[in-house]
Amino acid sequence: MTAPQDKIWDVIVIGTGMGGGTIGRRLAERGLSVLFVERGPAGFRREAQELNGDIWNPQARLVRGYWPEPLHARVDGVDAVFNAPLGAGVGGSSVFYAATLERPEPHDLDDSPDMPHPTGGWPVSYAAMQPFLEEAERLFHVSGTPDPLGEPVNLATAPQMPAADKALFDAMQRAGLHPYQGHTALRHLKGCASCLGRKCPRACKMDGRSAGVEPALATGNAQLLDLCEVTRLRAERGTIHAIEARHDGRDLTLRARAYVLAAGALASPRLLMASDDLANDSGLVGRNLMFHLSEMFALWPGRTHRGSGPTKALAFRDLYQQGNIRYGMVQAMGITARYGEIVHYLNLAYDRSLLRRVRVLRPFTRLPALVAARLFGEAKIFVGILEDLPRAENRVLFDPGDPRKLAITYDIPPELRARRKQFRRAIHRSLKGLRRVFLGVGPDLNYGHPCGTLRFGHDPKSSVLNADCRAHALDNLWVADASFMPTSMGVNPSLTIAANALRVGDRLADLLQGKETRDA
Amino acid sequence: MPDTIRTRMAVITGAGSGLGRALAIELCRRGVPVAGLGRRADALDETAALAGDDFFPIPCDVSDPASVAAAFDAIGKHGTVSILINNAGVYPHRDIMDESPDSFMQTLAINLGGTVACTRAALNDMAETGTGRILNVSSFSDIAPPPCSAAYSVSKGACTIFSRALVADLGDRFPGIVVSTWMPGMLATDMGVPDGLDPALAATWGAALALWQDPSLNGAVFEMDREILPPRGMKSRLRDALLLRRRQPRRLAP
Repeated sequence: MTAPQDKIWDVIVIGTGMGGGTIGRRLAERGLSVLFVERGPAGFRREAQELNGDIWNPQARLVRGYWPEPLHARVDGVDAVFNAPLGAGVGGSSVFYAATLERPEPHDLDDSPDMPHPTGGWPVSYAAMQPFLEEAERLFHVSGTPDPLGEPVNLATAPQMPAADKALFDAMQRAGLHPYQGHTALRHLKGCASCLGRKCPRACKMDGRSAGVEPALATGNAQLLDLCEVTRLRAERGTIHAIEARHDGRDLTLRARAYVLAAGALASPRLLMASDDLANDSGLVGRNLMFHLSEMFALWPGRTHRGSGPTKALAFRDLYQQGNIRYGMVQAMGITARYGEIVHYLNLAYDRSLLRRVRVLRPFTRLPALVAARLFGEAKIFVGILEDLPRAENRVLFDPGDPRKLAITYDIPPELRARRKQFRRAIHRSLKGLRRVFLGVGPDLNYGHPCGTLRFGHDPKSSVLNADCRAHALDNLWVADASFMPTSMGVNPSLTIAANALRVGDRLADLLQGKETRDA
Repeated sequence: MPDTIRTRMAVITGAGSGLGRALAIELCRRGVPVAGLGRRADALDETAALAGDDFFPIPCDVSDPASVAAAFDAIGKHGTVSILINNAGVYPHRDIMDESPDSFMQTLAINLGGTVACTRAALNDMAETGTGRILNVSSFSDIAPPPCSAAYSVSKGACTIFSRALVADLGDRFPGIVVSTWMPGMLATDMGVPDGLDPALAATWGAALALWQDPSLNGAVFEMDREILPPRGMKSRLRDALLLRRRQPRRLAP
């Protein structure tokens, strides 16, 4: 095999997560030569680890496929350093995800008089995105039932709900809600352990690795260079000529006709900033950083359902929007809150509370949790996903003296705080008749859902990418991760990332194969 | 080759004598094919005569990494390594004034070096299949080393720590690779004491532990047929009592 640096590839894809894996597959299946460049390791296929924020050694993190460096977050002016739930390995963060592939609502993309869009609408309409959403659902083997409040969908049949979920499902219906079986990218192979939150040791959970990189490599058109860190894009007169990378202690120069940036919404803008502030005529590279707010709560299906397995089967969208206010969907987290897990959440809440300095009391969060487990049986943990809106002040930071440092600054605006309170109240009211307890105290940013930092749009002054997700001022730099999103939507970002990667991949392949002219 | 059609093999080091031989006989009796490693080919042949056709004698000096690599290449022709019992060890009774740095390190090369080399080699198959069982035969001599046992005690303490380090490196990634430490007790073998336990009896416990794949045994320590729970401080014990949470040590059914 020729060394990756000895040939000119059709496309180099930087990052192998949901976006990079999916677009690489599309390009390779269309016959283009593709080089995946991944910072983390390919790892062992039988690994089954969960994300673990308590492991700090960068080598131990990288071996496990975790992002090696901690996130330095300044939130509302308060500095914190912690390990964000981000992956660095083949499949990126998606190998650890809960495989929730939910469609956005049309109003997440489209502007309308009843539901004005915060940015005036995405440059690609929901109708134009829909075929790619459907295709992504097929490629990722998504199963579930249609949302009774939404459009019909044609998905694989989900396995029957366990009794506890059915009990909650019925209770939600009695409360006037419209629950459905959440949309999940699991093939449910024999012996499926529903690897939600950890690496799946088989190609059963569909993620950027199993549904992206692996099928791409199987075409014979793609190659993987893992443990390779891209340090700089080299551009001249509106064209990227090469990328510089470190691999195995050596500097490499890699070349391609086109380059796809898919390092994630935190790392992709940082790489542009590290490359002499490339593609930043708008000044928006790294800005408009969004996360979702997670509103976590426990629901008890009743003592008779003790031992019923955890699923992610339950979701509802009754609170997705109220009038023209944007909230988001509610879904099971795939966690059965046995005693230990409730302790974990109570501890998290405790650590944010005023009691946090009194360490000796912390173990006693076990007592209320034990009482709850005895009285009510096992709880299921749910999360309400609250849409975060773009603000230019919230952004990724880059320190030229420490280019690997992962840092953000983010302020929670009063608007978001107020909307969170309303959302919480609405959840509480909507679940009347069910035993429910909110687990969070303050606003809880979901650091696993960053997006928006290279937004796409028609106007080069107010966006970094054009409608094809190509950088406005560069003719061969494309973006396929969550950076492109102008708004964060009320659903998990994964399905939309995959759908957009297919869309961008088609456009890029058409160009490289001469099926369309560049400025069509 | 998919592991379903390959034979799953147990590898036992020090299979030419004592406990290793007894373990090989016991596992073969239970229908598990065993690759037995040992320095002396004639001793391995004696084990083979007692253990039957499921025993594969593989001459190997575990203190020599090249010899271990060659042995595992040979094992690979017979099947996939799914069980490893690191049993080989020497116990030179030598006062520290009679040890040279070289003689001391030679004991470590066999007892610790052999365990590391064989474990590393076995992990190639185990990481590939995601399952495996590693049993490190150890002793309590690291806690209170008897006289004339410096090298042995250091090596056994190191092996116990090595088990814990394996769990730290692999436990979260490969829940199906289960590592335990086993102290077989004082045995009536060349290395043990004349009035010790019959190695055949100890081997029934060792075989039961080696065939017990429960992921919760990862990091567990057994003495003879009984689990030794990790020591707990006063505060933890008080909390356990408050929360009605007391762990019972597990026992091996021979």
